[in-house]
Amino acid sequence: MRYVKIKDEKVYEFLEGLKNYGKLYAPVKISDKFYDRKEIDDVKKIAFDYIRTIMPAKKFFIPPKEEMFEIDIENGEYKEKLEEVEPFVLFGMHPCEIVALRILDGIYMDEYADIYYTRRRKAGIIIGLSCLPDEYCFCNLRRTDFVDIGFDLFFHELPDGYLIRVGSPNGHKIIDENLDLFAEVNQQDIDAFREFEEKRQRMFRCYGSFDNIRYLLELTMQDKLWDEESEKCFGCGNCTNTCPTCRCYDVQDIPNIDGKTGKRIRFWDSCQFRSHGLVAGGHNFRPTKKDRFLNRYICKNSYFYPLGTSYCVGCGNCTYFCPANIDFLGNLLKVRSTAEEVKNA
Amino acid sequence: MKLRIGIHGLTSCYGCQLRMASVRELLEVAENFEIAYWYMVSSKGEISHVDIAFVEGSVSTAKDEEELKKIRENADVLVAVGSCAIYGGVQGMLFGKEYEEIFKEVYGDNKIEFEGRIGEPLKKYVKVDYNLPGCPPEEEEIIYYLATFAIGSYPEEKDYPVCTECRRKGYPCVLIEKNEPCLGPLTVAGCDARCPGYNVACIGCRGPLPHGIAWFDSLAKTFKEKGMSKEYIKARMEIFGKQYEKMDEMIEKVFEDED
Repeated sequence: MRYVKIKDEKVYEFLEGLKNYGKLYAPVKISDKFYDRKEIDDVKKIAFDYIRTIMPAKKFFIPPKEEMFEIDIENGEYKEKLEEVEPFVLFGMHPCEIVALRILDGIYMDEYADIYYTRRRKAGIIIGLSCLPDEYCFCNLRRTDFVDIGFDLFFHELPDGYLIRVGSPNGHKIIDENLDLFAEVNQQDIDAFREFEEKRQRMFRCYGSFDNIRYLLELTMQDKLWDEESEKCFGCGNCTNTCPTCRCYDVQDIPNIDGKTGKRIRFWDSCQFRSHGLVAGGHNFRPTKKDRFLNRYICKNSYFYPLGTSYCVGCGNCTYFCPANIDFLGNLLKVRSTAEEVKNA
Repeated sequence: MKLRIGIHGLTSCYGCQLRMASVRELLEVAENFEIAYWYMVSSKGEISHVDIAFVEGSVSTAKDEEELKKIRENADVLVAVGSCAIYGGVQGMLFGKEYEEIFKEVYGDNKIEFEGRIGEPLKKYVKVDYNLPGCPPEEEEIIYYLATFAIGSYPEEKDYPVCTECRRKGYPCVLIEKNEPCLGPLTVAGCDARCPGYNVACIGCRGPLPHGIAWFDSLAKTFKEKGMSKEYIKARMEIFGKQYEKMDEMIEKVFEDED
């Protein structure tokens, strides 16, 4: 892998220059508590110390709502609506978000690739940024805390700049075209990088393995815990909407007022909604709130085999953005712990 | 063949009809439907057989009841339009109280010329086929309902809350961030979270979610944990949700231990 360094005083110039590669999006503060990735005009507004965004990066590849076809009802024809996708740069992607995108890739760009997703994905440049966890993070348990693939460049914080890992031909190109902004990595930088990583590893809320969590979940589905926790739930879908890997969408045909034409749209769906498990004939596979609540726990803790990681990347969004204060990790820890551990906790 | 429609108003602010009358595609609506009755727009016409009747307002007088029954008898499909028609509306929050007492409080010993009562939703009196929620409904929804009927299909009522539209829009959550009494989690979507978008907590004007999935109990519990009193929570939730089945029960349950 190729490594270069950028000093603090050159960072804004580099970020400004990124606009030559596409529309620049980066995390900015949108309110007292929340951040979101927005188009960047003034690079000085970029929040380097953000932890999570209220809208996950999936929004750039699967928009919350999009038009797919124009429909001609009279003639039974449809025309795919493919807007031009301009190149864009996502700066400040954390490791969990990068793994999440790779999970989406595996699903949306498999042998039956989703054309809408694929076009956007190919237009996006991904620039990673190191982070320190808060009490909601558990990427360490998901083994998604460090990425070696899935980015063009990855910025690791140093006391006086960033150590940059170059992860793709596009990444090389960006470095080569801006060579005067970069320096060589020296021994001091390597020590600082190592120190940062060690410090980071010591900061997580809990340690151990979650490898068997899915099976423990299945075995404890009858526990009272799930009645109590699902009763707190609003069924509002915030957990899935803010989840970087939740990818269910709903499709709806919307006729125009002339009754002759229309459009097909798709939009983010959620397994927390009643209609998610509703099928023709009126049967519902998940008729109760508890069924829907547990569905998310089972789904997120299942394995995405191509990557060998669970669908949950441990970002903590579902807990942080839960208006009912339901602690996803806390509940999983209750399932993982023996009765003795819970008593002593 | 054009569908014959009627648009009616019982006791309400007539805002739903006004919204229907101000859709940008109004000319197309007039072109593609035969409007048999629309009292707000034209005093011509009588209640006669229609394919679809749209009814806004709550049943708040004996005359409302009579009119509603006549509309129902003459309509193949009846759509309840807006919060008053679906849940009784703001006037419906008096449900459970004595009409005479309320009347006295407002009008004293004065008399009125008709027999009033506490506002109730249409479904208490007649069969309602579809609900078109809103206070008033959004333009997009009005067109969607009309257009699905026009192609011989039927509209799909949203069963997810304002919360979801708020997240899809990327607005900051006022419930989490400011501990505001936002009713977004149990209010039916469709407004694209207009109020939270202006940093204002949802007051629930579009009415609770259908299909028994408006979790007043869970939200009341969260409000309680944020330090809000039972009286405050009830008062807020009752504005548009008083006649949601089991709302009272659900809130009571949360405060059971204290009483």
